[in-house]
Amino acid sequence: MNNVLETIDLKMVYHVGKVDVQALRGLNVKVATGEYVAIMGPSGCGKSTFLHVVGGMLKPTSGRVIIDGEDITEMGDAERTEVRRRKIGFVFQRFNLFPTLTAEGNLKLAERIYSNGRGGNVDRRHEALRLLGLEDKMHHKPLELSGGEQQRVAIARAIVNRPAILLADEPTGNLDSENSKVVLDMIRGLNEEFGQTIVMITHNPEAAARADRVIEMRDGHVVGTTEVV
Amino acid sequence: MDNLIAANLKQRPMRTLLSVVGVALGVILVVLTGGLARGMMRDSAQRQANVDAEIRFFPPGSFSTAANPLKLRTAYADAILHGVKPAPEDSDVEPKPPVGGVVAASPVGEWVQPTLGGIGFEVIDGIDYPSFCQTTPLRLVEGRAPADSGTDDGPYEAIIDRYYSEHNGPSDGQQVKVGSTIPVFGRQFTVVGIYEPSVLGRVKIPLATMQRFMGGADNCTFIMVRTEKPEMAGQVVANIQEYYPGNNIVLTRDLPALYSQGIRPLEVFLDVVIGLAVVISTLVIFLAMYTTIIERTREIGILKSLGASKGFIVMVIEKEAALISAFGVVFGFILSVIGKYGIEARTRLIIDLHPRWLLMAAIIGVAGGIIGALYPAFRAATLDPIEAISYE
Repeated sequence: MNNVLETIDLKMVYHVGKVDVQALRGLNVKVATGEYVAIMGPSGCGKSTFLHVVGGMLKPTSGRVIIDGEDITEMGDAERTEVRRRKIGFVFQRFNLFPTLTAEGNLKLAERIYSNGRGGNVDRRHEALRLLGLEDKMHHKPLELSGGEQQRVAIARAIVNRPAILLADEPTGNLDSENSKVVLDMIRGLNEEFGQTIVMITHNPEAAARADRVIEMRDGHVVGTTEVV
Repeated sequence: MDNLIAANLKQRPMRTLLSVVGVALGVILVVLTGGLARGMMRDSAQRQANVDAEIRFFPPGSFSTAANPLKLRTAYADAILHGVKPAPEDSDVEPKPPVGGVVAASPVGEWVQPTLGGIGFEVIDGIDYPSFCQTTPLRLVEGRAPADSGTDDGPYEAIIDRYYSEHNGPSDGQQVKVGSTIPVFGRQFTVVGIYEPSVLGRVKIPLATMQRFMGGADNCTFIMVRTEKPEMAGQVVANIQEYYPGNNIVLTRDLPALYSQGIRPLEVFLDVVIGLAVVISTLVIFLAMYTTIIERTREIGILKSLGASKGFIVMVIEKEAALISAFGVVFGFILSVIGKYGIEARTRLIIDLHPRWLLMAAIIGVAGGIIGALYPAFRAATLDPIEAISYE
């Protein structure tokens, strides 16, 4: 099976004044195509840094990051941005929708970014919103949606361009338990029905239990990997 | 992206409006100032050219009115037309024949005074009415020719053109009529006639009256010379130069070009105005876009997380700036048209809205906006995506 994501001895050091903070200390992680992986750990263990590095938003200090066969480690900012556009979908804890655009408008913007301003596919947008149970909310702006609905719009935006991998940063962190369950069910559904490769970071064991595999991190290290039965 | 831009503009309506007004101000500055300069010059040139006399005879030195109000002997007019026949006792006066081909010569004095409203200026012509009518198409449509009282105490008489009559009434819609009084040389002159067409200045008084006020007895500013046939003008000029050397002789048809050379400072002034307009438009958009990217730092971070390239982000900012500038240009045009008619209705100023100036103002407005947004756009494009997306 091909790996959509592979990191080799990944290290990230932040220089904070005169202090060096080692956020990642040599991570070796592989995520196969169609796999759903959760990364757990306490605050400050390097989960978010890991996501930002594999998402191409941060250049690692050393090591390698390979996304769907492309080594992004030595790429410049423009090239990493291009890989992110083509192959990565992001979901954030704070939803990060454009408040002035409707649900469909947010997806349309993602499509235009993907196609470098040329346009999108209305059927694909509507299909993505339907998958996330938002067909009757597509003309609503984020302020008119609940937290769970907003996060589902964010997920729809992340998958509308069919990325190789979906990176989710604490997707249920701002949701109540009921909405969390809905969102996690939707994410699980994307993986099971459509084979979407997903890497989700969370500090919630119940959320992590939805994944195929859980990677535990502590102090920038991987300290354990558990297959979820 | 277009929906995002439109939505962004609607989200901050007051800032959008103020930015549009800022760009509009730059447009108004260019359109009205340039239009005023061109309008006044065109009107003045038209009235200068609206004479039958082909030749204008000036004293030595500059031919500008401001330089030598009454410095040319009016006797030259008679000498050109009839020649110089000195009396026996005037042994030092050289006899001269009449200049061939001349049918009329008219001395004209010119004086410039501020308008009553304090905006702009007006030219007062001192004329010898009979000879003036022989060298121009001037005809009275109401009243009679002005007469000089022969005394310093008046009464003082003047004639005005139709434009002056219609645009200088005591209140809106009223006209200056025969019998009204107008201020000239700080005194009240009675309007005794209205003439057409507009020729030279819009107000004419007897040359003798002007000479009395200006202390230039027997002098004028220039002499208009009319020839038998226009094609004889060159030869007549040569003859005048031969008989009366050392003076300035200009063909009427060359006056507009000569005036253009004399208003080089005006061209510089207009260039400064255009430069100011560019600066205004640029600064307004720069400030608007700069505050925009500060406010929307998180949104820019989101765009980056979605894979938006630097070029995409720059285009979003620039398109927004261009749209604001375009609205500002349109708004500026509308206000300029309103301003033109308002100013012309209340003053004697003439403003030309020439397509060239409108195009220049549009280019300045939009280009200034695009340039002004460049720094904020590139700043936005180079934001760190993680810091931007975490920005509160």
